[in-house]
Amino acid sequence: MNGTAAPRIASVGAYAPRLRIEAGEYREAWGEAPRGIDRTAVPDADEDAFTMAHEAAARALSAGGYDGTGVEFLAFGTTTPPMAEEELTARLRSTLDLPEGVATRTHTGSTRSGVAALAAGLDAGGRGLVVASDCPEGAPDGDLERAAGAGAAAFVLDDDGATVVDRATYTEPYPGTRFRRRGETDVEGLGITPYDRTAFRETLAGAFDRLDGGEAPTDVDAAAVQAPDGDLPYRVADALSVDPEAIDAAETVRDLGDTGAASAPLGLARALAADADRILVAAFGSGAGSSALLIERSGGNEVPADLALEGDVSPPFSDYLRRRGGITSGPPAGGGAAVSVPTWRRTLPQRHRLVAGKCPECGALAFPPEGACRDCAELVEYEAVRPADPGRVQAVTTIERGGEPPEFVPQQSRGGPYAVAVVAFDGPDGGTASVPMQVPLAGVDSLSVGDAVETTIRRIYEDEGVIRYGRKAVPANVRR
Amino acid sequence: MRDAYIVGAGQSPFGAFPEESYRSLFRTAYERAVESVPDGIDPDAIDEAFVGTLGVGGRQIGLSGPAVTEFVGLDGIPCTRVENACAASGFAVRSAVQAVRSGMADVALAGGFEVMTDMSADAVRYWLGVSGETEWERMAGTTFAGVYAQMASAYLNEYDATPEDLARVAVKNHANGARNPDAHLDFECSLDDARDAPEVASPLGLYDCCPVSDGAAVVLVAGEEVVESHAPLDEAIRVAGIGAASDRVGLPDRDSYTSIPASARAADRAYERAGVGPDDLDLAELHDCFTVAELIAYEDLGFCERGEGADLLASGDTTLDGDLPVNPSGGLKAKGHPIGATGTGQIIEVVKQLRGEADDRQVPDANRALTHNVGGSGGAAVVHVLERGAGGEGG
Repeated sequence: MNGTAAPRIASVGAYAPRLRIEAGEYREAWGEAPRGIDRTAVPDADEDAFTMAHEAAARALSAGGYDGTGVEFLAFGTTTPPMAEEELTARLRSTLDLPEGVATRTHTGSTRSGVAALAAGLDAGGRGLVVASDCPEGAPDGDLERAAGAGAAAFVLDDDGATVVDRATYTEPYPGTRFRRRGETDVEGLGITPYDRTAFRETLAGAFDRLDGGEAPTDVDAAAVQAPDGDLPYRVADALSVDPEAIDAAETVRDLGDTGAASAPLGLARALAADADRILVAAFGSGAGSSALLIERSGGNEVPADLALEGDVSPPFSDYLRRRGGITSGPPAGGGAAVSVPTWRRTLPQRHRLVAGKCPECGALAFPPEGACRDCAELVEYEAVRPADPGRVQAVTTIERGGEPPEFVPQQSRGGPYAVAVVAFDGPDGGTASVPMQVPLAGVDSLSVGDAVETTIRRIYEDEGVIRYGRKAVPANVRR
Repeated sequence: MRDAYIVGAGQSPFGAFPEESYRSLFRTAYERAVESVPDGIDPDAIDEAFVGTLGVGGRQIGLSGPAVTEFVGLDGIPCTRVENACAASGFAVRSAVQAVRSGMADVALAGGFEVMTDMSADAVRYWLGVSGETEWERMAGTTFAGVYAQMASAYLNEYDATPEDLARVAVKNHANGARNPDAHLDFECSLDDARDAPEVASPLGLYDCCPVSDGAAVVLVAGEEVVESHAPLDEAIRVAGIGAASDRVGLPDRDSYTSIPASARAADRAYERAGVGPDDLDLAELHDCFTVAELIAYEDLGFCERGEGADLLASGDTTLDGDLPVNPSGGLKAKGHPIGATGTGQIIEVVKQLRGEADDRQVPDANRALTHNVGGSGGAAVVHVLERGAGGEGG
């Protein structure tokens, strides 16, 4: 491929849930631990591939000093889209405040789809945002689930930054190594170890050998190799002409587990953040296909990065089981209050971006920006303003088990008690808007009136099969 | 404008009654109200009815007023359902008084009902939340207890009060409820019981929350000519003043989180129209759906200065033998809170007290009393001042 016209990797963001299940917990529960993995990242009850994608992308944008303007292309790669059919990129564009005309692509169905999204961004040209986010699942008692982790990496593509000097892909029919049936959530494998390893090795080597016009590159500092577990990448080191140390320099599987479509992108993010000069990316998708990229940093320029990958909460195995779902019930039958989807949609600028309104009469802020002004009671048309993080807690409580509204039963039975607060945000030029917000409690010791919080995107609740995403508050002192 | 009097007042017991229906509970309240009228009253004399209910359970959302008035034989009279959440039947009384004062009716019935214990805990939670602000507050995961807990967090942060002060409200009101045969939770609780109860929404524990109850309540409001034809006016219970107000439904939109502004506005109007102030009251029935609400109400109603609610409680002034007993019935906390019946139920307690019929919980020399009924977490409030005997110009 001719890479001269392609954009460069201008900034990097990454995110993994803060919850970690230690390998020892698996060993105690099942008698086996995942290979080469110390701990795996577990999404909280209100996290999924979409919310992690938002976190990583928001970090990539802010690390590079971007606010979303001028972004022409958005690509999202995942094997676990929260909805099997629906354009999730439309909502991602909205939560990230990207231009309406941005071209979007979704890549799925393969653990190679994160790198496929990156390739699509390079092909598209111009300023682009590429996000790989994944949280694979397997049968609860199997190797695939024990290895399954969660995480997301995002890259802003623009004129300056690290250069993708070459790319290659390769496919070879290898059915049955790892697959997911239509309509199922769990990946499966037949566990034919020699066959699986051959497929992995041969397919990855196929793309690698085609780099540099067949002159396969050597001397890379870091090799971001697909990591279904902590063992397989090292088994293909010789086929990719890399040292185990180069794989070490770009591995995330040991602390995050198998991050599926985000595996190789997370490795790339880590290598760029560590200022590696020459990076090999080798992504594998069962079936099988591979993508290889060779990336170089020019002139010693750092690629700005914001990586939030550390885990700081290690719940017991029972908490992991609850969060994983499957042993918890759905919302109870009932009736009563409801917010229809059309009504919810009217408020998406508020749910996604906390857009408030400034009263043209008295200057007070209104959230949501409709109805009579809270201050002067005039029925006005508000000027849209966007209050900034951090907000301040004005009133707060913790909703204990059994006390939650029915819409929040599934979340609470998986994630446990949560806090709800009234949070005051200052406007860009005065005034404050008070917003009722949920505060996830993972990693939070205490939460009091006056505390500073920042916002992120999480699942609020699900109704009639439709996921409602919106802002939640994270205490500033625990935000990573 | 002529004066309106409460001539009859009756309620069903408040509690959990799986053998009753909303109609049978309403019938009990209606019959007791009719029986309580001095010299009796012919039901044909009732010109109009106003019935409060939230509609918990969806048992009769539409036409829930006629569904009970026709059931008890009030055939053909106009009946309007009044809905203002937990203040539904406080506002129903207000409507009945307006009808009588205006001359539209000589006798008007006000009442309310709710059945809340005949469904699963999950279903109750659906219905308990319907009076919070739905789109933003509820859909952040906030519950009804959660909103009051948020107010409590702001209150405890702003003033010197502690969770123990909240617990003392429960102890006082349970002590009163234990003397009320119609109370739902008719038992005493110790400070330790209240303080050590499981947490519901910090800083509120189980004993900081009122129960969900079944019940119905009915009062009969009559014009002064009607009353005079039966008995001397100076023994009748006169509606001396009513004040009501509304506010934003959701807490974040309000001016204060440590006050319920609608309560303060409603009280100011009621005092002004009755020509009295808080010092002139002999007792009060306040809307203590959560313990913190009683402390905040002390301040909103002018019983004490801002931030001194806990001190007033600790002084003993609001206990049954204090200077200004509050919630001698046990309040929502112990008497119970069948949402649509609560506001009228407060009037019934006050009528009993002013008539000297409150038995073990009688406040001595009770001549003037106040009721305070709040919808949701403060989206609506209505305050009544009632007094014994003919007065001057009410309003």
